[in-house]
Amino acid sequence: MLAFLAAPNIINDLLLKFFSEQMVNYVIWPFIQVGAVVTITAGWVAYATYLERKISAFIQARLGPMRVGPWGLLQPIADGLKLLVKEDFIPENADRWVFFVAPYIAVVAAFVVMAVVPFGPDWAVITDVNIGVLFVLAVSSVGVLALILAGWSSNSKYALLGALRSSAQMVSYEVSMGLAIIGALMFARTLSLSGIVNAQGSDSIWFLLYQPIGFVIFLISGIAENNRAPFDLPEAESELVAGFHTEYSGFRWSLFFMAEYAAMVVVTAVATTLYLGGWYFPFVYRLTEAKGYHTAYVVISLIVFLAKAGLLLYLYFWLRWTLPRFRYDQLMDLGWKWMLPAALVNIVVSALGVGTLQGLDGWRGIDTIRSVTSGLGLTPTGKAIAIGFGVGNLFLTAAILSLINWRSRDFNLKKQRSKIRLVDLPKGKPAVTPVASSDIVSEARP
Amino acid sequence: MHQVEIATTQQALLDAPQMTLNMGPQHPSTHGVLRVILKLDGETVIDLDCDIGYLHRGMEKIAENRMYAMIAPYWDRLDYIAAVSNGLVWVETVEQMMGLDVPKRAHYLRTILTELNRIASHLLWLGTHALDIGAVTILLWAFREREEILKIFERQFGARLTCHAWRVGGMPNDAYDGFASDVVRFTDNFPNRLDEYETVLNENRIWLSRTVGVGVISGEDAIAIGLSGPALRGSGVAWDIRKSRPYAAYADMDFEVPLGENGDTYDRYLVRMEEMRQSLRIIKQAIANLPDGPVNAKVPKLIKPPVGDYYHSIEGPKGEIGCYLVSDGTQQPWRMRVRPPCFINLQALKKLSIGHLVADVVAIIGTLDIVLGEIDR
Amino acid sequence: MPLVPVPKPTLVHKLKRFFMVDLLKGLGLTLKFNVGALTDRDSVAGKGIYTEQYPKVRPDVAPRFHGAPRLNMDPETHDTLCIACNLCALACPEDCIDVIPMDVEVVVAGKPRRKKVLDEFIFDTSRCMFCALCQEACPTYCLELTQDFELATYSRAGFVWNREMLEQGRETVKYES
Repeated sequence: MLAFLAAPNIINDLLLKFFSEQMVNYVIWPFIQVGAVVTITAGWVAYATYLERKISAFIQARLGPMRVGPWGLLQPIADGLKLLVKEDFIPENADRWVFFVAPYIAVVAAFVVMAVVPFGPDWAVITDVNIGVLFVLAVSSVGVLALILAGWSSNSKYALLGALRSSAQMVSYEVSMGLAIIGALMFARTLSLSGIVNAQGSDSIWFLLYQPIGFVIFLISGIAENNRAPFDLPEAESELVAGFHTEYSGFRWSLFFMAEYAAMVVVTAVATTLYLGGWYFPFVYRLTEAKGYHTAYVVISLIVFLAKAGLLLYLYFWLRWTLPRFRYDQLMDLGWKWMLPAALVNIVVSALGVGTLQGLDGWRGIDTIRSVTSGLGLTPTGKAIAIGFGVGNLFLTAAILSLINWRSRDFNLKKQRSKIRLVDLPKGKPAVTPVASSDIVSEARP
Repeated sequence: MHQVEIATTQQALLDAPQMTLNMGPQHPSTHGVLRVILKLDGETVIDLDCDIGYLHRGMEKIAENRMYAMIAPYWDRLDYIAAVSNGLVWVETVEQMMGLDVPKRAHYLRTILTELNRIASHLLWLGTHALDIGAVTILLWAFREREEILKIFERQFGARLTCHAWRVGGMPNDAYDGFASDVVRFTDNFPNRLDEYETVLNENRIWLSRTVGVGVISGEDAIAIGLSGPALRGSGVAWDIRKSRPYAAYADMDFEVPLGENGDTYDRYLVRMEEMRQSLRIIKQAIANLPDGPVNAKVPKLIKPPVGDYYHSIEGPKGEIGCYLVSDGTQQPWRMRVRPPCFINLQALKKLSIGHLVADVVAIIGTLDIVLGEIDR
Repeated sequence: MPLVPVPKPTLVHKLKRFFMVDLLKGLGLTLKFNVGALTDRDSVAGKGIYTEQYPKVRPDVAPRFHGAPRLNMDPETHDTLCIACNLCALACPEDCIDVIPMDVEVVVAGKPRRKKVLDEFIFDTSRCMFCALCQEACPTYCLELTQDFELATYSRAGFVWNREMLEQGRETVKYES
């Protein structure tokens, strides 16, 4: 165990013997990191499908995959192999090159985001871009392009309409997703994802406490981005076929599938980073890094991050297998009339909160801000005020949303339901045996 | 052939603001091989036509060449989910034509098992309806309860689904040892399960938005089309054949008939959930008061009803299922006509769907609770 | 398009609506099931797993089950109980049974008699609907529908069973888990 923890140092020393330090730090390590992250993500995606099947089975009082390998653990491998050997057909008159390229764009858009996600401190993040959040939003939007290309190139009326519906849905929810993040950024004061984690770590706070509404909006928009239930109308019933990936089979379809799950992993990873404190966990630094166990620190942080993201992934599965799906117009309604106003209100209230904290600092001896080096470091007083704003935001958003949607029919559904009347009807007499009537049937056989 | 005009020229196809969409016979949500041709304006349905007949097996013609006792298994295959009810229509028609006096114990057992079948049919309806709307878990849970009922059927009749449950004059076998305890165990567990389904669905805003106000039909229109069963009662019309013309042991049973108010999908859902509870009530009463005695009447060796015609119907899970039997005095009927509730209920599909979106059509087909075996016979 | 009069929602209702209480109730139930699948043993009344892992676990088939047909033999004489009365063939709605009799010479009370016995019995299980009318018609309890439900074969001809198959039954292939 301890040897494993010392491995990076050994490898580093080995590499330094053959290559220059620059080469090792800027070329070879990144390659290793990229390889590791891609492998881990691909494995995570494959086993996410297994977990989904198992969790859905347990919710439904079943067992799930049990045959392939012990407890069905080799099921994703069996599925992958099966999909590889399936017949690869291309629809007649389909746009061939676009048809080929679309799944790869989807996969790339989902996987590239992994480059900036901070799985842990130091070497557990491939690269820490200054504009990490912007990068994530921009690259994951490329996935929409893949959808449209897939629908168009399939040369099928239904696939095209499904793809257009799906892309309209994704675009609507991207707006609210982007706006929801801004609240958290005000407290982090940086767009770099590692910086956001450090901001939460140095303050020992989760931005979830400052931004409950932001978290909820981000998650709901993220689920809608991924076309997962309850927002999976484009996928489940869209014009009665499977939406944009109708005409895809075999490996190409599995690429779309992988892209969907990788996008799920991306959304959960970004949500963990922004709101749940990323890889930060109290006392870990004190117990490991401060004592010099650097690798252990990174590995434990990695596990913490994956556990948090795993919880959110469980939320995805849980929601899919409990809730029915929205109809398309209800879905768009939710995105524009509920998520967007809520996100805007969130920005305003967060700005007011930060403004209050900055204004109160030093006034009559109240200290709210501790430092502004890594994020907005707050004193306990400041934290209490910020959490207060967060909670107040909930009620304010509730009020504003109900004001905006007061005329919406769906808003008042529950009250419309009255109890079904139980009626005791008067009982008739039992049916009596008939007298045979021979005059009615005239064409009967003699 | 079809009422929906399908544009054929290139220009017409390009100019038309409408799109013709075929919800073909192979479709996961049409509950069988039903073909629905939709004319859409964007997503709104402007016209609808049903094309049926993919499951036609000629049962009424077959019946003209079989003896009365041999026709009973064919009735199971009509509405294969409610096989026990269907079998009941047939044997009661023949028994009443012949004036046979079925013993009381047989009536009570028929009531218990038919009500169990009603619960099983409604559970399947609930599972598939929830599946179409997106709540997949309910399907698996409903099938788990159904499994318990089918086990009872297997032990009693020998078959789970198409049971061939009844014989003319009574039942082939008396209740098996352990019947009462199995039924009582089922009635003890089931109310909790119903509460579970209602927890997930009844107040769920997504379920409400998908079902409230979707597929509304008024009471007068429902009667005009000829709807029956929960589709009719969901619109507030108080008509239940178990009450108005009691058969089997329903005259002795104490139960209530749930009625809806608005005639929309949600009301029909609530009506069926409540019907399951009332069925449970009937089963409890019947099993508690089960009389002793024989289970078979004295039936002549050859079943030859007197010349004439007779119509008898019962309240099946889908609606009024009836049998119109014309006998010419021989061992084979002259004409047997099935009054299929699903076929008549399906006629309301056009009226219910026009103006709604495509996604609602699936919900409406689900709420009418159709089984193609009965529609096509 | 509201079709029913919509009453004004109260504050409690609005808050419940905002905090998604209705959705959370359903989610709580599924979480209970998820946990119960791992901990609860009772699958009928509780939240345990209901799956029967066929074919590793053989299912409990009821004694009255209408399964594969079998011609029973007399336990003492090891002779078939069938008297070739043809009642089963007449009772069958689908005409799947073909009873082929033959005449044999027997000596009854000193006098030679011709007795009808069974020669060949053809049962087409592909046409059979397992209604058990034949089982009920048989006067000697010879034809019986057993608990065997695994009737799949690789060819259409395999569905047509002759007397030998009906008397000896088919061996179920035991699943090697």
